[in-house]
Amino acid sequence: MVDLSQYLPILLFLGVAIAISSIFVFLPMGVARLTGAHKPTAAKLAEYECGFPAFEDSRSQFDVRFYLVAILFIIFDLEAAFLFPWAVSLEEIGIAGWATMMVFLFELIIGFIYAWKVGALEWE
Amino acid sequence: MIQTFAFYLFATIVLLSGAFTIFAKNPVHSVLWLILAFFNAAGLMVLAGAEFIAMLLVIVYVGAVAVLFLFVVMMLDIDFAELRAGFARYLFFGIVLAVFLAIELVLGLEAFRAGAIKLGTATSAPVDAAVPNLEAIGALLYTKYVFLFEAAGLILLVAMIGAIVLTHRKRSGTRPQNVAKQVRRRPQDAVRNLTPEIGQGVDL
Repeated sequence: MVDLSQYLPILLFLGVAIAISSIFVFLPMGVARLTGAHKPTAAKLAEYECGFPAFEDSRSQFDVRFYLVAILFIIFDLEAAFLFPWAVSLEEIGIAGWATMMVFLFELIIGFIYAWKVGALEWE
Repeated sequence: MIQTFAFYLFATIVLLSGAFTIFAKNPVHSVLWLILAFFNAAGLMVLAGAEFIAMLLVIVYVGAVAVLFLFVVMMLDIDFAELRAGFARYLFFGIVLAVFLAIELVLGLEAFRAGAIKLGTATSAPVDAAVPNLEAIGALLYTKYVFLFEAAGLILLVAMIGAIVLTHRKRSGTRPQNVAKQVRRRPQDAVRNLTPEIGQGVDL
């Protein structure tokens, strides 16, 4: 088991965040329940969409282009994640380790150039 | 004491949210439960001393993979009533799949009981606890496991090109920005100074 005392500040932040967010959620609910009249009707409980009845389901299909953006984001996210241990241990691994990362970056740059040339990064 | 408590807390939440991921009727809720499971798995990784893996879980899995799952769920446009209607029809295949999974589980357990696989000799002791997690990974990943690392890069490249080939469509009628043309444009090509007579107007 590791020493967890260094994570105490994070735990404190987490506790404060949970406390404040639950205050924001539950305090208005409680105040409203205690001070106002609670008489729900069907019209009051209906979805409110800018004053007119909701047209359609909120879960509609959307363009597959969003998916392409998400995939590209994951790939470059992973690339960045691999950069962190490399940057920290660069002294240890020397020139060979440096070259390793350059080859890795080159592989992804090929993909990047392809994406750019094809126009996958352009929206309209 | 606090470690044990944290372990049981994280492990319980991982198991519960994993179960809810499966049993949730709404796929969007499933993905949200999955995100909770990822977070708590990251907590378990921190307890195990693998801080880098924990950060990767949060950044890559919660930040990117879960978002992708949400996209897929949104894009599938599932009709729940229709989904349940097919239950009897797919029951047979479901049972066949379940039987195969059960066989695999039994085989796996038997293989586990038979003892460890001897692939090679354990060369080194676990990394010294004083060495930071990130440095220990870096020292191995970019030297000893260089081929696996480059293969990972190639897999990412294939994934990128595959996604582009599958989803990218050339759209006609779009007018993308042409940066080179914009930069090449000079003031003398674009601007004219005129002194028109009063009441004459300007030819464009």
